[in-house]
Amino acid sequence: MSLTFSLAHLLGGIILLCAFLQLSQRRLAAMITLYQLEALVLSAAAFWQGFAQTELNLYLTGLITLVIKAILLPWALREIVLRFNMARAVETALPMAVSMVLGLALIGIAVLVVLPTTMSSVSLTREDLAIALSVVLLGLLLMIVRRNALAQIIGFLSTENGLVLAAIGMPDMPFVAEFSVALLVLLAFLVVGVFLLRIREHFDTLDLSGLEEIERRGR
Amino acid sequence: MFGLPGHGMHLRLDALSMLFGCILLPQTVAAAVAGMRASVPFWVFVLGMALTLAAGDAFTLILGFELMSAASWLLVMQGDARPATLYAGIAIFSGACLIPALFLPASSLAFVLVALGAGAKAGLAPLHSWLPRAHPAPPAGVSALMSGGMVKVALYVLIRYAFVNLASAQQPWWGETLVAAGALSVLIGALRAALEVELKAALACSTVEHVGLIAMGLGLALYAKASGEAELSGLALQAALLCAVAHGLFKPLLFIGAGEVKHATGTTSMNWLGGLMRGMPRLGALMLLGAAGMAALPLGPGFAPEYLLFHAVISAAATGGILARIGFSATLAVLGIGAALALAASVRLVGMGFLGRPRSLHAAAAEDLRRGPFMAMTLLATLAIPVALVPGLILSLLNPVILLLAPQALTPPLSYAPLTLLVLTGLAALAAGFAQTRWGGRGLREAPAWNGGFGRPPAWLPFGDPRTQISATGFAEPVMRSIGRELLGTAPVDPAERFLLIPLIRAQRRGVRLAERMRRATIRERLAFVFAVLVTFLLALGLGRGG
Repeated sequence: MSLTFSLAHLLGGIILLCAFLQLSQRRLAAMITLYQLEALVLSAAAFWQGFAQTELNLYLTGLITLVIKAILLPWALREIVLRFNMARAVETALPMAVSMVLGLALIGIAVLVVLPTTMSSVSLTREDLAIALSVVLLGLLLMIVRRNALAQIIGFLSTENGLVLAAIGMPDMPFVAEFSVALLVLLAFLVVGVFLLRIREHFDTLDLSGLEEIERRGR
Repeated sequence: MFGLPGHGMHLRLDALSMLFGCILLPQTVAAAVAGMRASVPFWVFVLGMALTLAAGDAFTLILGFELMSAASWLLVMQGDARPATLYAGIAIFSGACLIPALFLPASSLAFVLVALGAGAKAGLAPLHSWLPRAHPAPPAGVSALMSGGMVKVALYVLIRYAFVNLASAQQPWWGETLVAAGALSVLIGALRAALEVELKAALACSTVEHVGLIAMGLGLALYAKASGEAELSGLALQAALLCAVAHGLFKPLLFIGAGEVKHATGTTSMNWLGGLMRGMPRLGALMLLGAAGMAALPLGPGFAPEYLLFHAVISAAATGGILARIGFSATLAVLGIGAALALAASVRLVGMGFLGRPRSLHAAAAEDLRRGPFMAMTLLATLAIPVALVPGLILSLLNPVILLLAPQALTPPLSYAPLTLLVLTGLAALAAGFAQTRWGGRGLREAPAWNGGFGRPPAWLPFGDPRTQISATGFAEPVMRSIGRELLGTAPVDPAERFLLIPLIRAQRRGVRLAERMRRATIRERLAFVFAVLVTFLLALGLGRGG
């Protein structure tokens, strides 16, 4: 029994580390690699939970995660980076050190919120939940501190990973929810991909600060 | 009929609503005769006022009140769009105060809301600054009805709630608040009436002053009723109600006259009038009567209420604690200044507008009253004569209303009998005239009259140079120098505007700028905002539970 939770916590910790490291990366390629690793560990966590809870749905979730997030999306992201010739450093809106300090603070907040609020519940998944919330918050922070549209997408995908992590840690979570979330992410990715192409066509860059400048001047 | 579900609409007439109906009726007739009878909004306006007066429940009352506001807004808009916006703002404010107030249980909060709502609509300081802008804008008949009728309806709502519906929660400070607001209105209104150059604006400022007088009377009565002074409450109510009656007669008269001045000369600026008494003698005589009422001169319709009010304030100054005594004594001084300034305003109105030499060709060529306005003004003047000469009779007719408002009030008989005074003065004048013709010097001797340094016009300027005559602005200059500068500043701005309206405009501009900034926010800024809210929420949750 204790092995179940130790291993789950270990996997969750690796995911959290990946999410945190994304904040500190300047290069898109490294961010994508970290995202891929995060998704891989997530699918492993799903398989492990499926084994521990003897739940077939979780295996299915792990499979979907593995195929879509660990293989398909990183491949597509790398394609975009190659095609747009963006393998150079990404621009950040905040200094790296500041964003990392903010990230640490967010993890602290997540632990501070989840541990006392779920004190009454019997389940031992409280730490898992705290890790998942941290991953979600870190993904949101990533979307805010980066100017590049692709980096923002990676932040969005990382947020979604945090949600899936929370879902697989909960026993009796309906499979439909996870499935629909995964589908939604795929669709969102497609839409955003098309948008990226159009932005690129118009502005020759994915740096959104130019877009903001136009918006500010145009009104 | 329609109304609140399950309640319906109720109409009810009692002594109070009858009295205000009687105040409203002659001026409605006069305004209709003076040329408003074809206007639909005008009749909706009248209907709204009548509905408010006859309302038997809160819903009907507010329906009538808002109908009156909306119709009068339309009428103001027909005259001038800019004050109409200000007026709509005030009307919405008063509606927003009144609607919750009418459905609250009897409490001090309900009184404060009623006083704010009805006071704003009546032009009670410090919410009066819209009135001198909005009342002169529409045609004269509507101005007359707004000044003479609409403010009375607002005061009716105030009386109905403060004295009858909220009677169970009465506090002495309600009355003191009303007295303070009234004193402020008297001071500002009278001062601005003495300084305003536009005829209609000066009349509107004088309305603010009279609303202040009525509010002072009502406040004294409320104070006396709450502290159990039977005689004082009767006296103050007499003063307030008689003032409402008198003001409802002479103010529409003056407004319709101002409209005729505008019709005949094309302007209402007193700097361009003058000498109208020669071209428009009938209008001049009627305006003189109205101005006597406005100035509260003895033998005029405005004197008896002012006299009663002075008595009431003097007897109030002998009651209560030391602070109340000092306050009421100060009020007495304000009342005196107000009366003096009102006299200055009336003298200026008649002297600048109707006496002297014309200041423009239009004023020189003015023709006398048309038939409709003449009939309207004659009707109002005829009704004003009994108020002026037999106020005791009118007061005895007011008794049921006073007993309805303050059941324990005592109403002493009036110690001022203008009719006797008039007869005695007439007898004395007759005797003097007789004595002069009988024993006075014989023969005629021609002597140059000293004309205040104002000589004959030179032959090449038949009307004289307008600049050799003192203008209305110049006439008001001593008032401006002595007290106007301290109260209004060197550039005359109403204090209510400076301390209430302009900060409000500034706050609104700041809010708009903030909203515009938020609208222009970039995607990242919006995300950051939502994120910050989320984190704050989580933090509050964590600290709330954990701590």
